[in-house]
Amino acid sequence: MNLLLWTLTVPLLTAGIGGLGGPRSFKELTMVGGLALTFGLCLATAGDFLAGSTPVAFGDALRVDGLSALVLVLCGFVGLLSGTYGVGYLRRNERRGLVTPRMRREFYGLIPAYVFAMLFVSVSNNLGVLWIAVELTTLASVFLIAFHDRDTSLEAAWKFLMLGSLGLGFALLGTVLLFAAGQGHLGEGLAALNWTRLVEAAPQMHPFTLRLGVVFALIGYGTKAGLAPMHTWKPDAYREAPSPAVVLMAVGMLNGAVYCILRIHMISKAALGPEFSGGLLLTLGLLSVLIAVPFILIQWNLKRLLAYSSIEHVGIMAVGVGLGAEAGVFGALLHMTYHSLAKPVALFSAGTLAQLHSSSDLDQIGGGTLGRAPVASSLLVLSAVMITGSPPFGLFFSEMTILRAGFSGSHVTATSILLAALVALFCGVAYQVGRIVAGPSPDPAVKAPDPERFDIALATTTVAAVVAVVSAFYLPAPLVALIRAATQVVWGTP
Amino acid sequence: MTANILIFCAAGMLVTAYLMVGQKALFTTIRLYGVQSLLLGIVATTIAIAESRPELFVTAALTVTLKAILIPWFLMRTVDRIGIHREIEPFLSVPASLLVCLGLTVVGYRVSTGFQEGARGVGHHLIGVALSLLLIGLFLMVTRKKAITQILALLTVENAVFLVALGVTSGMPLIVELGISFDVILAVLVLGVLVRRIVGRFESMDVSRLSKLKG
Repeated sequence: MNLLLWTLTVPLLTAGIGGLGGPRSFKELTMVGGLALTFGLCLATAGDFLAGSTPVAFGDALRVDGLSALVLVLCGFVGLLSGTYGVGYLRRNERRGLVTPRMRREFYGLIPAYVFAMLFVSVSNNLGVLWIAVELTTLASVFLIAFHDRDTSLEAAWKFLMLGSLGLGFALLGTVLLFAAGQGHLGEGLAALNWTRLVEAAPQMHPFTLRLGVVFALIGYGTKAGLAPMHTWKPDAYREAPSPAVVLMAVGMLNGAVYCILRIHMISKAALGPEFSGGLLLTLGLLSVLIAVPFILIQWNLKRLLAYSSIEHVGIMAVGVGLGAEAGVFGALLHMTYHSLAKPVALFSAGTLAQLHSSSDLDQIGGGTLGRAPVASSLLVLSAVMITGSPPFGLFFSEMTILRAGFSGSHVTATSILLAALVALFCGVAYQVGRIVAGPSPDPAVKAPDPERFDIALATTTVAAVVAVVSAFYLPAPLVALIRAATQVVWGTP
Repeated sequence: MTANILIFCAAGMLVTAYLMVGQKALFTTIRLYGVQSLLLGIVATTIAIAESRPELFVTAALTVTLKAILIPWFLMRTVDRIGIHREIEPFLSVPASLLVCLGLTVVGYRVSTGFQEGARGVGHHLIGVALSLLLIGLFLMVTRKKAITQILALLTVENAVFLVALGVTSGMPLIVELGISFDVILAVLVLGVLVRRIVGRFESMDVSRLSKLKG
């Protein structure tokens, strides 16, 4: 069995073992060990690619090119973070007697299963296989959203599943239409749906069918990415799901969905030039950034706040790709990388505060958390600085790259709107985070939150924060090479 | 002959969709979905024979076993266990809904003329019906309140996508179809479990009650 298949098998096995049973420490060890091994295998696969080979499996259905390798590494990384944080998360809830055997099974089974589905998305070279993988991510995450079995979590899970399935229905229709548009030029069998084949055949495709297919596929996968106006499932799901699962959604699934969007964009670009799908992405991206502004300013819940920040960031990536310049694509992929490093810190520290106060609502958390939970609060402030794109951190550089590409191209108006929205978002996030971290403390007699303990979850958050800060000043050369290779894949003419 | 069978089945699928819109008893709606899937299976079989594409027989067999028998059976069992048998008043009255669906059918047929294969003949009907079915499925989804009806609307959309696939491509690669079918059955199981949990908590499967999360 080759390396690529091992990368997919290990998380699947971990999920199987975790979902069965056994003592707690065994399950914890399995999950962390399994996901650490998975990350190692992801790195090895990407290393193989950088060394010049192209890992493939099942004919050509799974294939690692630059873009796949980048997404693979990022997903493997957050998978490991989420697994280690998850151990701490569940331990905290165990201590408070909130965990049932059903929850334990679901948690240790579904988190690795979700990681598996994300990795599967990122290495599929085939539109059909990709669709199947994306559907698997949806199914793996539903019960993680419904995890706490509250009224609101069932509501969030239902809305997520309905909207997600509808989006996937559209994506399937898009896939069928793209396949139909290229009929006669693609050949027979599974390979007919391979990217490589579709991009080659794109110039001869039937234009009407192709356009319709691209629109449906972009809307479908855009729903998974959470681009406005298909974003409405996101705040609900983020609020209800346990923080480790939210991280997988906010980084892993988001990257996976952006990966799908980029693949569709590549086909469309080869056939119709960059304007058609680029224009659509630019519009949806700007709309996402703009929609996030008011909702962040009036937000009442910390995790929903971070969901809107996620919508903002996926919007920025879509704008970067939609600008139709190589620098824009590079900026978008750099943004994806830095976002994957910074966002877990924000979600983990917010999750810790929410667990300590038994609620993620801002007025339940109250002000002055810096006194009660100093580590989590300072990490939250740090991550807020990072995710709003402030210098000297990474997202500042990627946003500047995108803005510069925009101002030097033909989309000056769109870029100006983006810049204004980014400033407003900075103010919004700073205001909300400042309110809970500083702010007046609530009356201690009314409610006493749990004291903060430096456990494995908080340790994971700290490590993630260190990685995110260091990455701003020093991005390892292989990672930069991967981003460049991915840009080449998206932009370069084959 | 082949053309007649195809057009008859496609028209039948459209009729089942209209009946679903006009129907309030959940069991009947589920059966209508079963009939719709059976007709889809016949379409696939007919194309398989006419164009001698053996892999389409597998598609047809999968469609009939999963969507005409297994999924309806599972949904009926779920409805039976829950003990709620009727759809409550939808957001839009039945006559108004039927009128809207008529409009949607016109739109579906109009769009289908843009396709290479959709300009005339059998392909025109298959694609036209498929796109109308898609729109009607979406319409059902937004106007109905019962969780089961929403699932059926989703499955109708999915049938429509399969009909498009048969109309414009005479079938996707077999392995992809197998994967999609597997995912669909998994999705229905997940939905079923979720419906049961919702009913257990809310003592109703009126999804319009799921409205606490806002902002």
